[in-house]
Amino acid sequence: MEQIVFGIGITALTGALATIAGSAEDTESNIGSQGDPNSQVQLAPQMGFVHRIFNKAVAGEPPAYGLWCALGAGLAWAFMAMQVNAVLAIVLGCVLAVFVQGVYATTAYLGRTASLAKFGQPVYVDVLKSMTSVTMAHAFIAIFSTVTLCHLINGALGHPFPLPLLGLIWGIALGAAGSATGNPYYGKERQYQNQKFGAGVPISASGNIVRYAEAGERNSLDNGFFTHKIGGSASGVCFGLIVFLEIWRTILFEQISAGWGAIIVGILMILIFTVIDRYIEVWARKNYGPYTEAKVAS
Amino acid sequence: MSVKVEVIEGGTPHNTILITGLLGTLVCLYLTYLNVLTNTEMFAFFGGLAAIIALIWGSHTIKVLCSYGIGTGVPSAGMIAFGSGVIAMLFATRFGILAPIVALVLAAVIGFILGYISNNILNMKIPAMVQALTEMAAVGALSLMGFAALITGGFTFEGLTTGTVSMLGMTISSNQISFIGGGLIAVAFLLGAIAIQHPFNATLGPGWKQDRMLMLTAECGFLSMIVAAVMSFALISAGSAILSLIIAIAGWAYTYNQYIDLSKRDAAAWLDAKPIPDTEGH
Repeated sequence: MEQIVFGIGITALTGALATIAGSAEDTESNIGSQGDPNSQVQLAPQMGFVHRIFNKAVAGEPPAYGLWCALGAGLAWAFMAMQVNAVLAIVLGCVLAVFVQGVYATTAYLGRTASLAKFGQPVYVDVLKSMTSVTMAHAFIAIFSTVTLCHLINGALGHPFPLPLLGLIWGIALGAAGSATGNPYYGKERQYQNQKFGAGVPISASGNIVRYAEAGERNSLDNGFFTHKIGGSASGVCFGLIVFLEIWRTILFEQISAGWGAIIVGILMILIFTVIDRYIEVWARKNYGPYTEAKVAS
Repeated sequence: MSVKVEVIEGGTPHNTILITGLLGTLVCLYLTYLNVLTNTEMFAFFGGLAAIIALIWGSHTIKVLCSYGIGTGVPSAGMIAFGSGVIAMLFATRFGILAPIVALVLAAVIGFILGYISNNILNMKIPAMVQALTEMAAVGALSLMGFAALITGGFTFEGLTTGTVSMLGMTISSNQISFIGGGLIAVAFLLGAIAIQHPFNATLGPGWKQDRMLMLTAECGFLSMIVAAVMSFALISAGSAILSLIIAIAGWAYTYNQYIDLSKRDAAAWLDAKPIPDTEGH
């Protein structure tokens, strides 16, 4: 019984850490225009819309975060193997991983922008300086939370995988959660505030992203500020739930019929979520979609 | 505004890069064998150099492949390179001194089969596919082996799966503290997979230049070598790890500066805190 109570406590802690990580990850990737919204930022100058948005295309979010978290975890593992205290080891590992992330971000912005010289897109050094440091700060929060939760899973719950491998798995999961949950809010709504709500991105509007802000010209800090409110929180809840429910079902039901209990509960949870998702989708279409109105108009 | 998008020509031909990359990687990998001959770990840094040379070759292969619309993003090419390469690399470590050659041959066979499946069974019909996947599997296997040699000082299976842990003054041999047992191979996998795809992914576009991309690959390689050298402190002697770290930092600083200069050369303008310039029609 004590074992289970201890496990539930660790589960709650990892869930909280994952929520922070998801929120920071989505904000970081939105400030860097990483993931699928990147295509429009990349396309805009080619359609004649020169902008001051940060364009940090390192890779899709899942592989990029797979690297940052695996790297943070691998370095933390190496420091711990050198008998460094675990807290210090994780902090040092994450600092070095964030250094790598920052360097990749600068080279991505310089490379993409220099290759768009034909369309007159200049390199903005102030954008590079101010955005890179902000993405690095958010990335540090995301990586540190993820590596810490991996260390808890490994050390406190006794997961057999070594820390770097857990970092890889949960890093990819983190990137996938942020990419799937947070990106539509930035890519479809924030970039296209000048289009009809819920209309998607018509071909004729491709590349015509919003470039001017409430005051002056929009930069990616405005985007991070805006998307953090809903997109970031939703990503945080998404990744937090993934981590929490995954460990919760393992802790509670692993003892039932040699591990099959946890698997059956996992399948049941997928079915329940499928029903909930379908219900929300139909409800949202009925209430917000332009789908029925178009029929009435014709 | 008249826009002419064309395939960029000129620069070093791909076959030259292929042959130089292949020979350079193999020579550097074999130079790490000096560790065994001299019974030190001072030559581990040659593993990092082998990985960098292989990455330069591989990133140019990705450029050749991704010039065709392959229907997926550029990062997927890096993943398949290391995904197919890791099988060959792990198997080859059983062959002692022959490991780099076995890894090369086996990876080429795996890559060829994958290329054949993509082109003929999945009907992708991309002319460069078979050769590119063959090359990339070899690059993946050899650069993973390079990272392994950099972190552990060797490329044999025993060296990669056993390490020592010192407890209360005693030294105990352990499988947990090792390149494979500790999961560092996962870190090396992603370090390489991102470093091989990033250069083309970051410099693609109508203004792509070969020298800028290859300089970026070298920069990514040295950056990966810095963190791999830090990890190697856990598995090899401090002196050897410091040597690798110094070489990595010096190489990274040089290539990063060069890359910024090349970007300055190619950019339309280099502005600091300036508004969006006026363009025709908007």
